Amino acid sequence: MVQNAIEFLQAHLFILALIKILIVLLVLSGIVAYLVYMERKVLSFMQARLGPMRVGPWGLLQPVADGIKLLLKEDIIPAGADKFVFLLAPAISVMAAFTVFSVIPFAGNFYISDINIGLLFILGVSSLGIYGIILGGWSSNSHYPLLGALRSGAQLVSYEVAAGMALVGVLLISNSLSMVEIVNRQQQMGVWNVFLQPVAFVIYLIAAVAETNRNPFDLPEAESELTAGFHTEYSGFRFALYFLAEYTNMVVVSCIAVTMFLGGWLRPFASLRALDFLNYAPVVAFLGAGAFILWLGLKSLVPLERYFFLALALACLVLAGLVAIPAVLNAIQGIFWFGIKVLAFLYAFIWYRGTFPRYRYDQLMNVGWHWMIPIALGNLIVTALVRYFVSSPTPSALGAGLGG
Amino acid sequence: MPMVLTDLIRRVFLVDLIKGLKLTFSYQRPSATYTEQYPLERAPVAERYRGAPRLNNHPETGETLCIACNLCSLACPENLIAVGWARTEDRKKRLTTFTYDLSRCMFCGLCEDACPVDALELTQDFEIAQYSRQGLIWDRQALEEGPRPTRYTR
Repeated sequence: MVQNAIEFLQAHLFILALIKILIVLLVLSGIVAYLVYMERKVLSFMQARLGPMRVGPWGLLQPVADGIKLLLKEDIIPAGADKFVFLLAPAISVMAAFTVFSVIPFAGNFYISDINIGLLFILGVSSLGIYGIILGGWSSNSHYPLLGALRSGAQLVSYEVAAGMALVGVLLISNSLSMVEIVNRQQQMGVWNVFLQPVAFVIYLIAAVAETNRNPFDLPEAESELTAGFHTEYSGFRFALYFLAEYTNMVVVSCIAVTMFLGGWLRPFASLRALDFLNYAPVVAFLGAGAFILWLGLKSLVPLERYFFLALALACLVLAGLVAIPAVLNAIQGIFWFGIKVLAFLYAFIWYRGTFPRYRYDQLMNVGWHWMIPIALGNLIVTALVRYFVSSPTPSALGAGLGG
Repeated sequence: MPMVLTDLIRRVFLVDLIKGLKLTFSYQRPSATYTEQYPLERAPVAERYRGAPRLNNHPETGETLCIACNLCSLACPENLIAVGWARTEDRKKRLTTFTYDLSRCMFCGLCEDACPVDALELTQDFEIAQYSRQGLIWDRQALEEGPRPTRYTR
């Protein structure tokens, strides 16, 4: 029976691909929904608040409630708007954001496709997302959205250059544009690209924040100046699409950063045998999550919620037990490390938002053109020179390029 | 010159930004949370806080402590207390009705001070919102029941 199913799937590979796409799409939508929850929670803790607490235990059902609210809202199209473009724009943003995941390797054995121009594809498609913003802002027939969209366009142009050049530095080391190959290369070299390209990493990090229009570079939606920026005139479901696109883009840039710089699905120090105990990190993580949930439950003021948290903690314990089985542990190793790294990046995104005030427009351009691009260029040149003189890059040889 | 150098180092390694990040990170500790979940948790009010009035009963016999002396009514600057009484056969005053109009009350506490037997008391209950003005006029029964803090259940 199972054998038959496997044979059938091997014969019809496209079905397997469809199943993978479905899994990625559904999981991603869930992650994005709870990313909003996480953002609200983390932000409120940083501001000495509690955040959503009333919808479900600890506000856990808040994303569901928000979704329902947005779907039930009236869908307003402003008079004088270019209706076709107005309706199309949010869809472009969302499609561009989701398409990128088709080439991101979540684990060594789990990715939708591995094409030899993976990174080029990602950069190309994710830049299409800006069309959604510009068209949406233009078609609204309103000045705030238009100004927001123009800012967004200018910002993307400025920072995409720096981000692209930072990534080229990594490409010079990896000799490949394929995302899977880039991670494999890091495994062969036994060192992550961050340690070889620290400057490129920092530049990409800053440019990524700017490209996703997030604080402190969220000028397209600067509410004190532009109301809500490009999506001022959007409401209901279409607004939800923009929202979805923004948060999906956050996940996208985190995934790219993890793949390019932090070794993708690789365990930290994967080549060091002495650190093999790190393979048990998933078990520890689940146990830790269980303990944390139990602690939350003990602090909870509503008796019913205590039972819920107890059940959740038990579930975590069961999962930890399940993960402790060696076969399962090996299977989830890659996806676990990838997930942890991406989560760390997402947390950092929220952390920046909770810390930094928004840049002024001229400051934004100044940082982009006067600092980021020259430094990225310098890094690129130094890397290229080192790469030219050291034909086969070994970690020790490339270590010379650390400062570059 | 060293001044310039330290400044440069601070700029290059984004020292100030990292300091800011450290501060916001530290605020995530649970003890820093300032929010109180109101219906579930209540902030303690000050000891001398004057809130909803109550007409005290004798703790053992359950009879009212009020001797219908009408002093509270006379003390009230707003004239919002109406004490009703009847004479018993032995010519003693007995409390019959007691009306307290909370909608006009400014919680000055003069009635409480005037009461010679500590029958009338302004409690610490602050949840006295009503949907109508009528609901704010409390009769003797409501006053004797005392504060009814909202019970929150889920």
